[in-house]
Amino acid sequence: MKAAFVLSLLLFARPAFAAPAKAISTDWWSLKPLVRPVVPQTGNPIDAFIRTKLAEQKLQPSPEAEPRVLIRRLYFDLLGLPPKPEEVEAFVRESSNGNRESAIGTLVDRLLASPHYGERWARHWLDVVHYGDTHGYDKDKPRPNAWPYRDYVIRAFNEDRPYARFIQVQVAGDVLFPGTRDGVEALGFIAAGPWDFIGHAEVPESKIDGKIARHLDRDDMVVNTLQTFNSLTVGCAQCHDHKFDPIPQRDYYRLQAVFAALDRADKKYFADAKLTQRFAELEHEQRTLTAKRTALETKLKAAAGKELELLDKEIEAGSKAKGGLRPEYGYHSAISPSQDTSKWVQVDLGRNVVIDRVVLRPCYDDFNKIGAGFGFPVRFKVEASDDAQFKSGVVAVADKTGGDFTNPGTAPQTFKSPGATARFIRLTATKLAPRQNDFIFALAELQVFDSTGSNVALKAAVTALDSIEAPPRWRKSNLVDDIAPPTDNSAALADLRAKRDALLAKATDDKTRAELAALAKDLERVAAELKTFPKPDVVFAATVHYGSGSFAGTGSSGGKPRVIQVLHRGDVKQPKDEVVPGAPGYLTNLPGNFELPADHSEGERRAALAKWLSSPDNALTWRSIVNRVWQYHFGRGLVETPNDFGRNGALPTHPELLDWLAVEFRDSGGSLKKLHKLIVTSATYRQTSATPSPRISTDAENCYLSHQNRRKLDAEAVRDATLFVAGKLDLKLGGPAFQDFVVEKPEHSPHYEYHLHDPEDPKSHRRSVYRFLVRSQTQPFMTTLDCADPSMQVGKRNESVSALQALALLNNGLMVTMSKHFAAKLDAAGGDLNAKVDRAFREALARAPSPVELANLTTYAQQHGLANACRVLFNLNEFAFVD
Amino acid sequence: MNLPFPCGQRRRVASRRDFLQAAAGGIGGVALTAMLARAESALSANSLAPKPAPSRARARAVIQIFCPGGLSHVDSWDWKPELARRTDQPFDPTGKLQFFASKPGNCQGSYWPFRQHGQCGRWMSDLFPRLAACVDDVAFIHSMQSKSALHGPAMFMANSGFILPGFPSMGAWVTYGLGSESENLPAFVVLPDPRGLPPGGVINWGAGFLPAVHQGTTLNTDPEQPPIADLFPPKSFVGLTPQGEASGRNFLQTLNRQHAAARAGNTELDARIAAYELAARLQLSAPEVTDLRGETDAALRLYDLDDEDTGPFGRQCLLARRLVERGVRFVQIYCGAENTTARKIRPNWDSHEDLVRDHGYWGRVLDTGAAALLHDLKARGLLDSTLVICTTEFGRQPGAQGKGRDHNPGAFTAWLAGGGIRGGTAYGTTDELGFQAAEHPAFSYDLHATALHLLGVDHERLTFYHNGVPRRLTDVHGHVIKEVLS
Repeated sequence: MKAAFVLSLLLFARPAFAAPAKAISTDWWSLKPLVRPVVPQTGNPIDAFIRTKLAEQKLQPSPEAEPRVLIRRLYFDLLGLPPKPEEVEAFVRESSNGNRESAIGTLVDRLLASPHYGERWARHWLDVVHYGDTHGYDKDKPRPNAWPYRDYVIRAFNEDRPYARFIQVQVAGDVLFPGTRDGVEALGFIAAGPWDFIGHAEVPESKIDGKIARHLDRDDMVVNTLQTFNSLTVGCAQCHDHKFDPIPQRDYYRLQAVFAALDRADKKYFADAKLTQRFAELEHEQRTLTAKRTALETKLKAAAGKELELLDKEIEAGSKAKGGLRPEYGYHSAISPSQDTSKWVQVDLGRNVVIDRVVLRPCYDDFNKIGAGFGFPVRFKVEASDDAQFKSGVVAVADKTGGDFTNPGTAPQTFKSPGATARFIRLTATKLAPRQNDFIFALAELQVFDSTGSNVALKAAVTALDSIEAPPRWRKSNLVDDIAPPTDNSAALADLRAKRDALLAKATDDKTRAELAALAKDLERVAAELKTFPKPDVVFAATVHYGSGSFAGTGSSGGKPRVIQVLHRGDVKQPKDEVVPGAPGYLTNLPGNFELPADHSEGERRAALAKWLSSPDNALTWRSIVNRVWQYHFGRGLVETPNDFGRNGALPTHPELLDWLAVEFRDSGGSLKKLHKLIVTSATYRQTSATPSPRISTDAENCYLSHQNRRKLDAEAVRDATLFVAGKLDLKLGGPAFQDFVVEKPEHSPHYEYHLHDPEDPKSHRRSVYRFLVRSQTQPFMTTLDCADPSMQVGKRNESVSALQALALLNNGLMVTMSKHFAAKLDAAGGDLNAKVDRAFREALARAPSPVELANLTTYAQQHGLANACRVLFNLNEFAFVD
Repeated sequence: MNLPFPCGQRRRVASRRDFLQAAAGGIGGVALTAMLARAESALSANSLAPKPAPSRARARAVIQIFCPGGLSHVDSWDWKPELARRTDQPFDPTGKLQFFASKPGNCQGSYWPFRQHGQCGRWMSDLFPRLAACVDDVAFIHSMQSKSALHGPAMFMANSGFILPGFPSMGAWVTYGLGSESENLPAFVVLPDPRGLPPGGVINWGAGFLPAVHQGTTLNTDPEQPPIADLFPPKSFVGLTPQGEASGRNFLQTLNRQHAAARAGNTELDARIAAYELAARLQLSAPEVTDLRGETDAALRLYDLDDEDTGPFGRQCLLARRLVERGVRFVQIYCGAENTTARKIRPNWDSHEDLVRDHGYWGRVLDTGAAALLHDLKARGLLDSTLVICTTEFGRQPGAQGKGRDHNPGAFTAWLAGGGIRGGTAYGTTDELGFQAAEHPAFSYDLHATALHLLGVDHERLTFYHNGVPRRLTDVHGHVIKEVLS
């Protein structure tokens, strides 16, 4: 075996993996209260702390980087985009006029004010909270309404929301900031992670697999929240007390209780909070009324007894016998909130025809389990006329407006004509067919037979008062396409339905009849008012879910949280003591007990947790965030394990600096922009990345920051910079995600086919933060470049180097396409080849080429084309790294 | 292997070489390491010295055949005469059981008769006539169980040891632990079913929190397509000539070297230069793997390549053999795609409504390709050093669901053959009906621990620090199943 064989050091093979005998101490650096440390020197406090350590280690700081290096570093760090050549030159000029400090200050202010700053830093945040645009797991359904949360994060960064508020709104925005857009959209945080669709939608909570799915769903909410805001691994306490950190198993389940009423689902809202409120009330009323009606109907059914049960079974079996159903269902009217609305559809036979009979063929659609006879009007009339407006010369062919017509199933309904001669045949529904909480009118086929027995309506022109055009299923032309559901059992089915109606009528007393009528009226009123609302916005977020079937949620019990018990060994089959909601007890100065009243709502639980997390006394919160920000500026945090400040994590290299930053950040209003400015204007940040010579062997990892770290661009920065340099980046802000794949077989397990996407599609030329993130089939190009996997919380991305990365950057359709566009952009700017190559260097690398480089690349462009030369530039180490 | 907190001052120093070794795990890891050793002799003497090879390794490569959807053990590998006897009697007289999608129907014996085979006399059903002839090379684990009855979580568990998504797959762990033997090919190659991805998608061969270089590389089994995505630029790219490509690469590397020379001591820059060299080698070696012109007619017939139904899987198996021959460490073949109902044949083994139809179809596919693979590896003397694993995410119920069977996480069978396996053996049993594992219940942890053991890796020592936990493929579980080792 030739390969180097490497195994972990024995450091973790602790013999004592058995449960610890007594509680683990809270005496640990990250859990100690924050105290502002004394700054050891004057000047920028960051530099003071860093230089003190360097001196202790007998190391020297490095000089400041060249302006053109610094501006490229700042652009990528703060915006994730390269500077334009003009911006580089202007900054170089300003810096050399002896105004370096003010030039940098101005530049940093400008970058922090750019809307692209929020896009860059939101992407970091989305890594941490494992945001994605599909559910993941088996079938991996799309989550088309996830993006408002992503846009909220971008907005929060751009508007520099105080960090405490940023926490509160994501955990309990609906409670603490009611009626705000943020308050709804930010709850996408709790729902950001994967969701087991099958485990929720197809398996009820009563089954073991349903229980496991919901337990793991809450686990994801708990872990996401605590790891994100407190950098501790509470998830380890799911099966037993945490082995290394002071987190008893009970504390973990108390956290689960905080989220116990929630599910992940689409949540409707409006920009106007009043509308959101009224809409929610109406939906609530609708649910309540429907439940009442269902209860009454259930009572009726019970009264009608076994006979009804048998009839229902027969009807259900009969309705399912729909063999040979074609996708072209028929004509479908617009939806109406009230039943007593008139709607018509008519055919133009093109000429006067002697009409022998008119045949109506009903639809079949499983929607709302209706099946055969879907949409067939309850009352209707059929008329013939030569007047398209049906104002004169109207002959009645059939009039069924006087009483309710029993639904015929799919049996054709034939109406003999009284010898009418006409060009137009109109069917008018005067009482519509019920659907769910609304009413419609649908028909598969309208046939008009002349005396020779031929259907003269075939392919005739169809007009209607209104129509839902949703081909292939529904469209006006389907009414005359000779396609209708088979009719074999429909007559029998119609008989059964008539029997059922009679049976129910017999079982209904007057009081019930009156109640049902009142309910129907109320439902109609609610539906009518709901119809007046504009289309609501929708965000996929944590919410009390009002569902049915397997995925019922807690809505039907008024959002009452599920009972949470400690699970022995994390096993849902071994529930032990019930727990009350609470925060962990690991902070000695900030108790985790909530002291909520007995009748508290589920939202109060989250509000209590949000306040605990955002408390000035929660030292972990403030240490965690400043460490994350530091990491994205230096490539490594002051604590190297951003998601773990426990005993398994790393120790801070500069504990005093970390605490100073945490206190400073907390006490100056939690402004991330101020924190960025403090960091990037420090001499420490501005150092050159050149390794000091002679090589410092005592600090090979540059823990003490005797120079800046050279950093590899992440996947998004590579993609965005490529598009930007090629002149193709669409800088539009926000909105639904773009898709750089084609979906095949969307109805069951969607196939997300990236290779079928056309890289020339301008819709996909947006910043990578707006990419539609599929969990089961991550984007191969981005994944190869170490993009974060949305299935897991990524506090720090891996950085790998591989041949597949090289191939992706050389040959991927996007890279090749953008090479062409880059060349076209250079061509459009004019000049000779030398000038174009010179410009290409400045655009891609923020510097001019050396004379030798210019000569060589120009020769190469002459031989192999400018596009190929651009492709070389995109593949340079210099393009992929920031000095 | 990975506790890279050099700045945390608590574990140990120097982890840049860990980065390099991680980087070296992908294509041409050895070459990359060697190149860097030459280029970077400035790094201290011990840094890149190869660690001692594991002495106990019995296999140097793994071919794993995965049958997604849930392969019925009671119709194939696990002989249950009592179940046959009770056919048409109630499976659950108490009426308390509730399967994933149904209430249990009556007991349903195997749809295929069982017979004894080989020297060992083990029982197998007529579903697999060709594999039955290989039974003396195969060790069965009859007592496999899964922690989930749902395809997604159960797939994740079978591949990564966790029912949650986001954990590294076995192939990624093996690559991470052992690197690559091939200088010119990826260490972990996946051959998905041509119909589509299995439930859960590419996560099944993902790198999870390991560096992306350890993820499985998908090999396109369509002979008309380039074998690896982005191996070559799109044909539409103008100005594309082999000379142009070569000179472009040379020019690129010249610029990269100049750039690196001015930034001495930056190993990431050197690693990236080496990666471009390896990419060029991969452009030659990958098409060679999928070019079957050098194969004899007998080989093509063995794998039944011309058959419309069994041919595609036969091609996957043949490619697996060619990959292993060329030093690829871990090959995963999927025999089946996503689970969904279908008018004709379901696209994988998930036989809820017509088991004879769907297992009948997939059985012939698996039987033909897998038997050919075992024969071929043996004939070439590769079976001794190649561990072949055949598994699924869970079994199916002994009680009927109409003409099909529902999911059964309580029992299923996996089998192993080749490198270090004692053929003709079996480990563990199920109860008399095949409903639950009875003796020696086993999970993916045990199967994975055994496979790693045969590769010379102690599953308890193959760890990677992630979000506070030194993670393992086997979580905190796993026992090497010594009973099936030779």
